[in-house]
Amino acid sequence: MSNVLVELSEAMAAAAEKAGASTVLVDARRRMPASGIAYAADLVLTADHVVEREENLTVTLSDGTKLAATLAGRDPGSDLALLRLERAIAVPADPAKSARIGQLVLALGRPSADGLEASLGVVSAVGGPVRTQRGLIDRYIRTDTTPFPGFSGGPLVDAEGRVVGLNTSGFGHGAALTVPAEQAWKIVEQLAVHGSVQRGYLGVRSQAVEIADAAQVALKREQAIGLLVMSVEAGSPAESGGLMVGDIIVGLNGQAVADHDALFAGLAGDLVGKTIPLEVLRGGQPQALKVVIGARP
Amino acid sequence: MKFLATINDALDELMARVRPLLAVVQDGRRGAGAGLLVGDGRVLTNNHVVARGRGVTVTLDDGASFEARVLARDPEVDLALLGIPPNGHSAAVLASATPRPGQMVFAFGHPWGQRAVLTGGVLSAMTSARTRRGEIPVLRSDVRLAPGNSGGPLLNAAGEVLGLNAMIFGGDQSITIPASVIRAFLVDQAHRSAPAEAASEGLL
Repeated sequence: MSNVLVELSEAMAAAAEKAGASTVLVDARRRMPASGIAYAADLVLTADHVVEREENLTVTLSDGTKLAATLAGRDPGSDLALLRLERAIAVPADPAKSARIGQLVLALGRPSADGLEASLGVVSAVGGPVRTQRGLIDRYIRTDTTPFPGFSGGPLVDAEGRVVGLNTSGFGHGAALTVPAEQAWKIVEQLAVHGSVQRGYLGVRSQAVEIADAAQVALKREQAIGLLVMSVEAGSPAESGGLMVGDIIVGLNGQAVADHDALFAGLAGDLVGKTIPLEVLRGGQPQALKVVIGARP
Repeated sequence: MKFLATINDALDELMARVRPLLAVVQDGRRGAGAGLLVGDGRVLTNNHVVARGRGVTVTLDDGASFEARVLARDPEVDLALLGIPPNGHSAAVLASATPRPGQMVFAFGHPWGQRAVLTGGVLSAMTSARTRRGEIPVLRSDVRLAPGNSGGPLLNAAGEVLGLNAMIFGGDQSITIPASVIRAFLVDQAHRSAPAEAASEGLL
C-alpha cells in the first residue's frame, strides 16, 4: 500500500542510505569503535576524543572494506580529527549549508560490523559560541536524536541525505552536540594543511570591567563591558602592538569585545600572522592599535 | 502546513487500521502486556508476558475478553502463541521487505497501561542478541518503549509488522524480535500441532 507515510518513510531510509555510504567505522580506541564521515576519497573526519591512539588506526567503509589510516591532524578544541586512508576509495559526503530549528534530521553511525545505525529527531537549537572542556566552538547544533554508543564522529543528516554536521558527545556535561558542517569543513581544510588548527594569540590577561558612561560617550556607542588588561606577556603580539596594562579592550577586528568568549571567538578565525585593528580605551579615550596576531602555543 | 496535515490524516488512517489487531494480555494479577492477532483466534505475544501460563486473559479492542490457552511458547526468542475462540478475526500482516535503517517505525502497545498507543521513531539497527541457542537477529529502534509495550508490534509506515517488541534482553535500548523469527516460530508451532491448521493461518 502506498501513502504519504510510506513515501516519507522511504525518503528517510533513502536519506540514511545516501549519507550512510559516506559514514564509516573508525577503530582508534580500546572500547567499541566510533564513527566517521568521508570528507574526501582519502580523508575521514571524526571526533577527536574517539582517537585514543595515533597508530594502528583502521577505518571500515560502508561496503565493508577495511583500510589502514593515519592521523592527518587533530583539533581538540572543536573535537575534530582528520584521518588519511591508505587508499582513496571512500565516497565523500555532501555537506549541507545550514540547519533550521525544527527541521527533521537523522543521526547516523557505524559503530559495529552490523552496519549503519540511525536515530530520528529535529534540530532543537542552533547557537554558539560555546566553551568546551578543551576550547571553544563558534557554532553548535543541538538535536533530540538519540546518541547511541559509538555515534560520536558520525553525521547528522537532513532529509536529503546531506551532512548537516558531525555528532559528538566529547564536549562533556553528558550532552551530545553537533559541530555544523560549514564549520567542520573549514577546520578540516586547516587540519589537512597544517595538521592542527592555528588559533590567534594576543598574550594578555584580562578581566571584564564596566565601562564608565563618559567613556561610552567617547566610544560613540553603548558598550557597558570591556576587558581590562591585567598583564601583558613579554615579547607577545600584544606588547609589540603597544597594548598596556590598564587598557580596556573594547573591540577586535571591527567587532565589539564585551567578554572573554567574544575575544576568544574573535581570535578563532584564520588571523595568525595578520595585522588586525584592536580598539582600546586608554584614560577613558578610544585608541586604535594594530596588532600582528600570533599563533597560540 | 498542508503536507503535515496530510501526514496526520495518514497517521489517523494507520491507527484505525491497526487498532483492531492489538490485544491486552493479562497473566493473573501481573501488569498487562500487549498481544497481536496473527490469525482467527490466534494472538501472538512475548513469552515473558505469559510466564505463569495460568489465568491468561486476552481483551480485544472491542472490549471482548477471553480466557486464553497458551498454544506454544519459546522462551529463547521470547514468543508465545495464545488461542482464543475463533470469530473471524482479521490478522496482522508480517512485513516481507528487508528493514532499512532510517525508515519510520511505530511501536504499538499499552505503555504504562495506557491503551493502544502508537509511538513513532525510526529503525536504528539490524543487529543480534545472544540466546542459549545462539545468536538471533533482532531489530533496534529509537522508539522509547515502556512496560506494556511488550508483546506489541513494531509496525512500518504501511502498518505491516516488522517485529514484536520485547524488553527482556536488558539494556536501555528497545529490542524488537523480527518478522523472520516470528515466521519461523509460527511455522514450527503449526507443524507441531496440526499440519491442517497451518494452512488456515493465512499468515505464512
